[in-house]
Amino acid sequence: MLPARIAASLGLLVMLPAGVQAQGAGPPPARDAAPVDLTGYWVSVVTEDWLWRMMTPAVGDLASIPMNAEGRRVAEAWDWTRDEAAGEACRSYGAAAIMRVPGRVHVTWEDANTLRVDTDAGTQTRLFHFNRSGDPGGTPSWQGTSLASWDPAGRGGRGVSPQSRGGSLKVTTSNLRPGYLRKNGVPYSEDASVTEYFTRLPESFGAAWMVVTTIVDDPRYLNEPFITSTHFRRLPDDRGWNPTPCSAR
Amino acid sequence: MAHLTHRIGAVLGLLLAVPAVPASAQVDLSGEWSSFFHEEQPERIPGPEIGNYIGFPVNDHIRMRGDTWDASIQTLPEYQCRPHNSDYQTRAPQDLHIEKEIDPISREVVAWKGHWLRSTTPRVFYMDGRPRPSPNDLHTWEGFSTAEWHGDVLTITTTHLKEGYIRRNGLPRSDKATVVEHLVRHGDVLTWVTIIDDPVYLTEPLVRSTDYRLNLHGAVPPYPCGIVEEVDREPGNVPHFLPGTNPFLTEFAERYGVPAAAWRGGAETMYPEYRLKLQELQGPNPSLREPVNVRR
Repeated sequence: MLPARIAASLGLLVMLPAGVQAQGAGPPPARDAAPVDLTGYWVSVVTEDWLWRMMTPAVGDLASIPMNAEGRRVAEAWDWTRDEAAGEACRSYGAAAIMRVPGRVHVTWEDANTLRVDTDAGTQTRLFHFNRSGDPGGTPSWQGTSLASWDPAGRGGRGVSPQSRGGSLKVTTSNLRPGYLRKNGVPYSEDASVTEYFTRLPESFGAAWMVVTTIVDDPRYLNEPFITSTHFRRLPDDRGWNPTPCSAR
Repeated sequence: MAHLTHRIGAVLGLLLAVPAVPASAQVDLSGEWSSFFHEEQPERIPGPEIGNYIGFPVNDHIRMRGDTWDASIQTLPEYQCRPHNSDYQTRAPQDLHIEKEIDPISREVVAWKGHWLRSTTPRVFYMDGRPRPSPNDLHTWEGFSTAEWHGDVLTITTTHLKEGYIRRNGLPRSDKATVVEHLVRHGDVLTWVTIIDDPVYLTEPLVRSTDYRLNLHGAVPPYPCGIVEEVDREPGNVPHFLPGTNPFLTEFAERYGVPAAAWRGGAETMYPEYRLKLQELQGPNPSLREPVNVRR
């Protein structure tokens, strides 16, 4: 009898996932479950695509972007005066592009299940909702509706210290107003969706780094998903934070 | 019975002692990875322009190297089959093959290996915590690399590199540099972040990130490089420009309307506030002018 009981316990132990914690009423809030700390001020370090990010490229300069014919046609018709007159100066500051815009970002927790990202370039606010799912609905906006999760979820277990659990923030965004992938009118449509992974990297050469991998899918204007990775260096405080309005030029 | 109970207890104890998730049960990076060029296509495929130092934390020493560099040096027999230095491999237009070396007994991953088209030998990223060689030890194109996991990020540290380049327009990276790389996989996308600290040529670390896509049908082809006499020249002639004589240095800046203070690069050109300085240097809407030749 005793061996059978012990064997049963043994089987149970083997079946238990490594990261099983004391069973509670439900999953902890995203803030408590965060495998990495993304909060704070970050500055983009523009060592790539400099000509297309730091300057406004000429009309029709689509270098590197997998545009289809319709996308090219729209891009070549870009007129910044028209955007400015229409009150659409924020077209190049939408969710599909904002992390590539040179600037500082401030990451905070809006509440226990909502991560907030403010950008000084264009003075935009993004809200990443952990406790929502399904069709976002609502009125399309520059930053759309963003659903968030930790990727991978539930990493942990014996032998894995909280400091080295690691992981990324996965954000999927839709419900977007049409905008620009680049300042010179390279378009994305209201059908676009954006998948992003925010990964905090181990400290290197005395600085903390974050890389954001962005995948823009737009069946209307792109031949294939447009994938970029953008890096940021963490700042000790808000120095250099300089909110500026959107500019169509 | 008591003997049996003790034995079962011992097995139980052993089960508790063994981590349920082995240290090596991390993200699998092995496979064939295709490069694509949604960033920096003009620099990575046709190649960068002479005199483009923009967005890099360069000092005057490296500027001098770039100013006196002649692209014709690549035609020298000694240069024709030169592999890319390991910290440049990810920037070059070539695919990647990653494999893992597994200890046959413990089945732990003891090393990762990376192969690119233009590499003579694979890069090896040792996971076994071996010590670094003496600073005076051999320096190679691949360097000496150790790696460790931080969560799902594989971090590689490389030293013992031969002098290489950070941009294929004559901007060198010295053999004193240390390179840290972070590999992050999200589904079929691999992001490879490279941070170079070079006390000889850079005023602060240079960071770049490159993406690959998993390719289930990919393969890195062989690179049977042969050397030919490309240019008739006197023996011992090494293509170069003396300081102040390179006529091509300003072509890039003129093409894109970049002011002289910007194309010479430097750490300040990497940061967002430099846009304000650009506006001061160029006046209102300078960048909306048509460049001489828009590259699409």
